[in-house]
Amino acid sequence: MHREVRDHLEDILAGGHASDSGLAGNGHLNGCAECTGQIAAMREQQRLLQSLRAPEEAEPRAGFYARVIERIESQGAASIWSLFFDSPVGRGLAMASMVLALSVGVYLVSSEHGAEAPAGQVMSVPNPGPNSGEMLTGSPDRDAVLVNLVTYREQ
Amino acid sequence: MSGLSEALQFPAAGTRTKALPSRTRVDHKNSDEAALVKRVQARDEMAFREIVDRYQAKVFSIIYGILRNHNDAEDIAQQVFAKIYFSIRNFDFRSSLLTWIYKITVNECYDYLRKKRVRKLVYESDFSVEDAQRLESSEPAVDPSAPIDRRIAQHDLVIKLLSKVSEEDRTLILLKEVEGHSVEELAAMTGLNENTIKVKLFRTRQKLLKAAQRLGRIRGIAKVNSGQ
Repeated sequence: MHREVRDHLEDILAGGHASDSGLAGNGHLNGCAECTGQIAAMREQQRLLQSLRAPEEAEPRAGFYARVIERIESQGAASIWSLFFDSPVGRGLAMASMVLALSVGVYLVSSEHGAEAPAGQVMSVPNPGPNSGEMLTGSPDRDAVLVNLVTYREQ
Repeated sequence: MSGLSEALQFPAAGTRTKALPSRTRVDHKNSDEAALVKRVQARDEMAFREIVDRYQAKVFSIIYGILRNHNDAEDIAQQVFAKIYFSIRNFDFRSSLLTWIYKITVNECYDYLRKKRVRKLVYESDFSVEDAQRLESSEPAVDPSAPIDRRIAQHDLVIKLLSKVSEEDRTLILLKEVEGHSVEELAAMTGLNENTIKVKLFRTRQKLLKAAQRLGRIRGIAKVNSGQ
């Protein structure tokens, strides 16, 4: 579409005559098939859009306000979550919280693995030998050790 | 209604208001309507009730115009006012309250249509007998002699075409063509420059034509665009 027509498009579509928009002087619309065709298509589009006008009498049923309040109350409980999801700040906050929770989780899991490593090393200490079992299960020397401790105290 | 709302009342469907003086700017922050909004922001229930009373018919008409179903219109109108209640604290007075409500309303309609499409219940074939009769008896903008099937198909087409443009463009073109506002009024309502409005409207019209061309539905479009 040429500029001469484009600049006055709204006037033309609003029903203004070409002469109102200063177009008659150059006779552009009369001589330009492209602009004429586009104006015709836009008029048809305009007619389609205007089909969305509702009849005057369209109104909600009586008691509409009460039903609106009922809906607000039913959505009120959920609205605390909408604070997070409806606003960009809330979404950012929710995202940051999720990232933080994820990081803490990863840290905890990895540190737990880290803590298990020395335990593994202790477990891998070579078996001290067959006599070591005697210390745990009650060896013949155990009583002697206890006697020594008692006598040490008495001294 | 006074102040802002007097200046920006929606004209009756099909009528065109006399244009406001060029470059009209409305101070959306200092008007009776702004005072009402501030009361709602402070959770004054009476003020909210006033907003519902003032705009319920308008909201219902917008929705009914798009969906052509009374039950759906009632349900979505309730949802629109619930949304207004919960989000009015974000209203920043850059546009008129009407413009803001209009945008919410149209967006709710399209959300509803999108959800419906997801449920595979596409736009058409959803008119009750009552609604179809109502459509038949009261649709001045389209050719009344056209059969009802064709008019429903045209209605579905325009809804589908509008889904191809952005929310902002959709709201603007509907305010222009459905509500009948002039460019000057749109500038006052949105706080945008008149030239910006004209450019946006032109681009939206072109997008709609291209979408229609893809669907092959508006007569003569293919021929017109092939000459570009």
